[in-house]
Amino acid sequence: MTKRKIDFAYILVLIILVLTVVITIYPFLYTLVGSFNSGKDFQLGGVWIWPRVWTLDNYKVIVEDPRFWVALRNTVIRTVVGTILSLLVTSLIAYALSHPKLPCKKFFKITAIITMYFSGGIVPFFVLVNAIGLYDNFLVYILPSLYSVYNMIVISKFFKGIDEGIREAARIDGASEFRIWAQIYLPMSIPVMVTVGMWIVVMHWNSYLPTLLYTSKDPSLWTLQYYLMVIIKDATLPDGAVYDTITAQSVSFAGMVLSMLPIALIYPILSKKFNNNTVGTGKD
Amino acid sequence: MEQCLDKQKNRKRLTKGQWELLVFATFGLILLVIFSYLPMTGVLLAFRDGNKALDIVDATFGEGIWTFQNFINVLSDAKFWDVMKNTLGLNLLSLLISFPAPIIFALLLNEVRSKKAKNAFQTIATFPHFISWVIFGGIINALTDTSTGIINPILQLFGLSSPDNPVDLSLSQYFWAKMIIVSLIKNVGWGSIIYSAAIANINPSVYEAAKIDGAGRFRTAVSVTLPLILPTVTTFLLLSIGRILGNSFEQFYVFQNVANLERSEVLATFVYSQAFTYRNYSTAAAISFFEGVVSVILLTLSNKISKKLSGNSLIG
Repeated sequence: MTKRKIDFAYILVLIILVLTVVITIYPFLYTLVGSFNSGKDFQLGGVWIWPRVWTLDNYKVIVEDPRFWVALRNTVIRTVVGTILSLLVTSLIAYALSHPKLPCKKFFKITAIITMYFSGGIVPFFVLVNAIGLYDNFLVYILPSLYSVYNMIVISKFFKGIDEGIREAARIDGASEFRIWAQIYLPMSIPVMVTVGMWIVVMHWNSYLPTLLYTSKDPSLWTLQYYLMVIIKDATLPDGAVYDTITAQSVSFAGMVLSMLPIALIYPILSKKFNNNTVGTGKD
Repeated sequence: MEQCLDKQKNRKRLTKGQWELLVFATFGLILLVIFSYLPMTGVLLAFRDGNKALDIVDATFGEGIWTFQNFINVLSDAKFWDVMKNTLGLNLLSLLISFPAPIIFALLLNEVRSKKAKNAFQTIATFPHFISWVIFGGIINALTDTSTGIINPILQLFGLSSPDNPVDLSLSQYFWAKMIIVSLIKNVGWGSIIYSAAIANINPSVYEAAKIDGAGRFRTAVSVTLPLILPTVTTFLLLSIGRILGNSFEQFYVFQNVANLERSEVLATFVYSQAFTYRNYSTAAAISFFEGVVSVILLTLSNKISKKLSGNSLIG
């Protein structure tokens, strides 16, 4: 059965895959290298895979910029509060909609699914945000994303897989539906909650559109991504940045690395989640 | 809903638990009404003369005439058709290139014998998906910069650029190609996951049979694996066709600048600038409405065609 011939097709497949992987990962290496390199030196070009003139000045500028800390605080708060609230709300609704005894189930299901296909667009939503007082308001980060129908469906699917007998037993013991959800279903659904929770974390961490549209006038409400956009797009240095090695570009590299760090840290757990779905029952 | 409740009540009184469930479900419905259904009524703005209005709530719901003028204005605006050309051109290109790419990646990945290597490829290729467009766009713009980027030196290796006269990739003639490549890098890994999962679900005995029949690896991939994941492929193809007028605003806003506007203005960014730069709220609403109608028509049509041709469909 052993083939002695060199398998050129297989080598070609590997080369293509390795190339793809190199192309996807290189931009991040480049940014990391740039963030540790003197900006003035970087401008001369040729700094590709290792810093030529090491410096921490780029990071110092970011860390000494008060706007960075405000933006970081806002992003952390919206991510933590937004994710926890959204998980609880979505899971509670999923519990009701996956419950066989919910009256008018079809009505609730259809009204939810319609929203996945139709939306009013950016202007009507802007009107709404203004009308309900969310303009220039921190809650605009939290409230609209409290309930995601897509996530509700994912959690519902998990709930449906839980043995009905457990719920029956709890009900005979006199537990209310809320208690059954809080004390049985919620703890049992931790795997799916972790997965969905991480999607929500990434969404909150990376979003900049709400800030651009609704809160950009108030710098105390800026989020990390919006702050980065300002320093990247404006290409101006923060006030009081006095280092002579830096450029707007090298400082923005440091900002980008700092704000990618949390995503990079949770990424190993994240990737384990989706790799479990793709391998495992593979053909070999 | 009331009718449905009455029916339930007549049949049998609701238990305490059922009332509880109703409360939870209604809570969800209220959130949807506020954040999804109420904005849907905002499409009314498309039929009002609400441009430049300071109070756009009043412009939507207050007194005033109803008109199709906004649509007439939009459709007779040459700028709008330029934007349509960009939108359709880019999205058709992306349907040709960005749509099959994750499928090809998943098929290639499936050939890798070592599970560890397979995992590593998938994990690394998926990483950019989790990075924001602000950061990813910032990195790409730096990479393509004429003085500090690495793209020009690479082009020089192939004789496509010279140090004295570097290629400025932020110019409009390169915009489409740049968007396609950037989307590929960011989404190939993530997009392939669903196909890898579909491949993983294929019964191994099918492959045994193909092997016995003497099918080579390429043959197996094309005539065994591909047909078996076709339902998944169809689903995502239909979704992409439905989004033929949609682009990621977050992506385009990051790459757009005055120099490339001619090629980079797509419906998503056009609506934004109409609404928030020029304050033509009604015009913007009219464009959004137009886009929504076209998407629904395309989705329904392609769904029907696909149902007829292959029996695979998205809805129902």
